[in-house]
Amino acid sequence: MSRFYLHQQTASGIIEDPDGTEVSDLAAARHEAILAARQLLANAILHGVAPLGAAFQISDEAGQVLLTVPFREALPPHFISID
Amino acid sequence: MPHPTQSFVRNCLLSAIDTAGYAAIGPHLEPVDLPKGTVLIEAGVPFTHVHFFNRGIGSVVISTADSRRVEAGIFGREGLSGFGCLLGADQCPQTTLVQVEGEGYRVSIDALRDACQQSNSLRETLLRFVHVFISQTSFTALSNVNQSVEGRLARWLLMCHDRVTGDDIALTHEFLSIMLAVQRPSVTTALHMIESYGFIKARRGNITIVDRDALIDFADGMYGTPEAEYRRLIGPFG
Repeated sequence: MSRFYLHQQTASGIIEDPDGTEVSDLAAARHEAILAARQLLANAILHGVAPLGAAFQISDEAGQVLLTVPFREALPPHFISID
Repeated sequence: MPHPTQSFVRNCLLSAIDTAGYAAIGPHLEPVDLPKGTVLIEAGVPFTHVHFFNRGIGSVVISTADSRRVEAGIFGREGLSGFGCLLGADQCPQTTLVQVEGEGYRVSIDALRDACQQSNSLRETLLRFVHVFISQTSFTALSNVNQSVEGRLARWLLMCHDRVTGDDIALTHEFLSIMLAVQRPSVTTALHMIESYGFIKARRGNITIVDRDALIDFADGMYGTPEAEYRRLIGPFG
């Protein structure tokens, strides 16, 4: 298990993940980021709140960015064809 | 055995009952510490004691088969744990645990039932609390369906604020995400948003309430009715 941080990239800067999350590997961290992005997007759509971010930066404990996950990747493939 | 006098206890239910009611329950109050994480009632396990909080916050949670939890309600010095025993039940499907550390008194359920038979004031006061708690869980259901994560968080912070001393609430994002049954980044984002409005200050492991009235407005009617019901039926709290 390793600790990964899901920092959110927004137009006005980074919203930092203060605590991080313990998961097995980077693939599991990416899965967490996808689930989190879906929830943020759903909340924004249902309640008319502007989504703050556009992507998660997944970092390790040293602060090294390992992967960037755009919110767009959280949408199921057939949703992409809407636009 | 010496027991705390009614003017000494900080639990609002124990303060609200009449002198005869307190005489019936007072001798059965055993002082207890309530460390964070203590399980007071385990789902499906027979009740043994109720706990009257003087300080701290208790949380009633319900879990899915794969152990995902959501909070059904909270109480602090205005309430007690395990009130199902007052309603003729021997156990319940929810778990009650200490969410913010505190202290209080425990009473065995046999002693509580005896005391309730001796005193109408005691029994009626405790049942009014059950009524208020049901109102709270009803609003939680409404809020879960209708409100944004930010709105639910605002309501929940107000409910915690009522039950702590001062304006600081010591909670991690992880804990908030369990209580609100959302992903942790949703909590981080919601806190960021509410903070940007100037309603709170969020630091690691701590949230400070800055503008309570604005939070109440933001909670959009989902906060306040059960609290008003408590004050109308039982007495002051918060």
